[in-house]
Amino acid sequence: MSAPATAVPGAGAAAPGTGISISRVGYEYRPPRGRPVLALENISLDIKDREFVALLGPSGCGKSTLLYLIGGFMPLQQGSISVNGRIVTAPGPDRGIVFQSFALFPWKTVIQNILYGLEKRGLPREECRRRAQHYIDLVHLRGFEDSYPSQLSGGMKQRVAIARTLATEPGTLLMDEPFGALDSQTRTIMQDELLSIWRRSPMTVIFVTHDVREAVLLADRVAVMTARPGRIKALVDTRFSGAADSAEVVRSREYADAVDHLWTLVREEAVAAGAGGRP
Amino acid sequence: MAQSIEAVTELSRPADRGERLRRFVDTFGPFITVGAILLAWELMARQQIVTPFLLPAMTTVAARIGDDLISGRLLLDVALTLYRAFAGFAIAAVVGVALGLLIARFVTVRWFFDPIVSFALPMPKIALMPIFMLWFGLFDMSKILMVAFSLSFQIVISTWSAAHSVEKELVWSARSLGASDRATLWEVVLPAALPQILTGLQVALPLALIVALVTEMIMGGGGLGDTMLQSARYVDSPGVFAGIVEIGIVGYGCIAAMGLIRKRLLAWHQESSNGGTM
Repeated sequence: MSAPATAVPGAGAAAPGTGISISRVGYEYRPPRGRPVLALENISLDIKDREFVALLGPSGCGKSTLLYLIGGFMPLQQGSISVNGRIVTAPGPDRGIVFQSFALFPWKTVIQNILYGLEKRGLPREECRRRAQHYIDLVHLRGFEDSYPSQLSGGMKQRVAIARTLATEPGTLLMDEPFGALDSQTRTIMQDELLSIWRRSPMTVIFVTHDVREAVLLADRVAVMTARPGRIKALVDTRFSGAADSAEVVRSREYADAVDHLWTLVREEAVAAGAGGRP
Repeated sequence: MAQSIEAVTELSRPADRGERLRRFVDTFGPFITVGAILLAWELMARQQIVTPFLLPAMTTVAARIGDDLISGRLLLDVALTLYRAFAGFAIAAVVGVALGLLIARFVTVRWFFDPIVSFALPMPKIALMPIFMLWFGLFDMSKILMVAFSLSFQIVISTWSAAHSVEKELVWSARSLGASDRATLWEVVLPAALPQILTGLQVALPLALIVALVTEMIMGGGGLGDTMLQSARYVDSPGVFAGIVEIGIVGYGCIAAMGLIRKRLLAWHQESSNGGTM
């Protein structure tokens, strides 16, 4: 918990045993009928501890697949992934995930949703309650503890999902287009809140998005992926010195240049994906 | 929440004539339908369009039901039939839901049971009644097992498809929050699939009554089915009609009770605020 407030951008390679190391990962979807589809090909990527990395690419490029492999939700077919020195074989509470579809337990209230992971860790009841309340406050949901997810707006649901994941204090936060289902105003607010939470807590974040601006605004580094089969096309540093406030960042010259540069890279792939004859 | 607000504004608006008529029909519609059928029945019987043997008057049948109620025979029959139907239903529900979940979750279980379930599902299970009679005798055991056997396969199938359609993100969330495979099955897949599982059980419930009634008709041993068949043997037409009305009321009661249970179990579910009948 005694961590520097911000991640250090641009520092050298990850120290051995820390961060995430993805090495020569390939993945092929094999549907029961029909031809197998190569989703990922020879992906290698090192992510430093407490780094915020965005995976950016056209839809269908396999960026979510890569995230699920890091999460351990699907068996690895080729290559290897290690998180903080441990080889990934199965999902675990060291890697929390937030989905676009929120994936809240609809039969549980807000606080019960957040308590679920805490109870799985075997913490004493009082401690669970205290922590759940802390994270409810953190995402500004005080007063909605006993609401069911169906009674909340999309933005509030995603706050619950984020709080539920943060409450178990994972070292790595995996986010699968978390703000994709939200309206643009809510999205902007949530982006700011995510940044401020990340700055205060020692977490590595991998953030999947197809929104260039979102990637540039949030991430230290953006990994641009190619159209299917997904490969890493470019790695771009996007943490600008000085600016703390995202409204300030958005107005800066560096931001505009980075968005422009990344947009060019992504557009080539989006065109390629479109020409690939996908329905 | 939004729905209740909508409902309030709807009520506070001055109700026009169409609105009032609709609300009247919503409340009293079923009574009007049932009343009209009973009245038509009574008139047809009184007009002697058919003989009282073919169609006894509604009032005669009602009087018979009243007699049965006072003598205690009705309660005994209903209790016996419901006992057999519910015992079989309960066995089928426990076995069917458990097996359906396991099949959805574990490939090996699916490999083993898929051919069995696929073969048994479309088969008329009642065809095995003679064997059940030979194996388990003519008493409650064979009737209850016949009900359980008849229902199990379709409950397996409906549970399987319910569990199969649980979104993977929900399961993955639980796993990454530290839940084991087994805990995920009972704490996440089961409740997430519950609305559809309950629908499957609601479809199976009338079948439980049907099978219980048929086994009673064939094997005897009391219950509504046995009594109806006895009445037919003694050419007691009001008795047969009384039985039909009684089993109808019992069936309606069961479905209504199941609907209430569903509402209790799914208080979290959006549909519970929509006020559907099922």
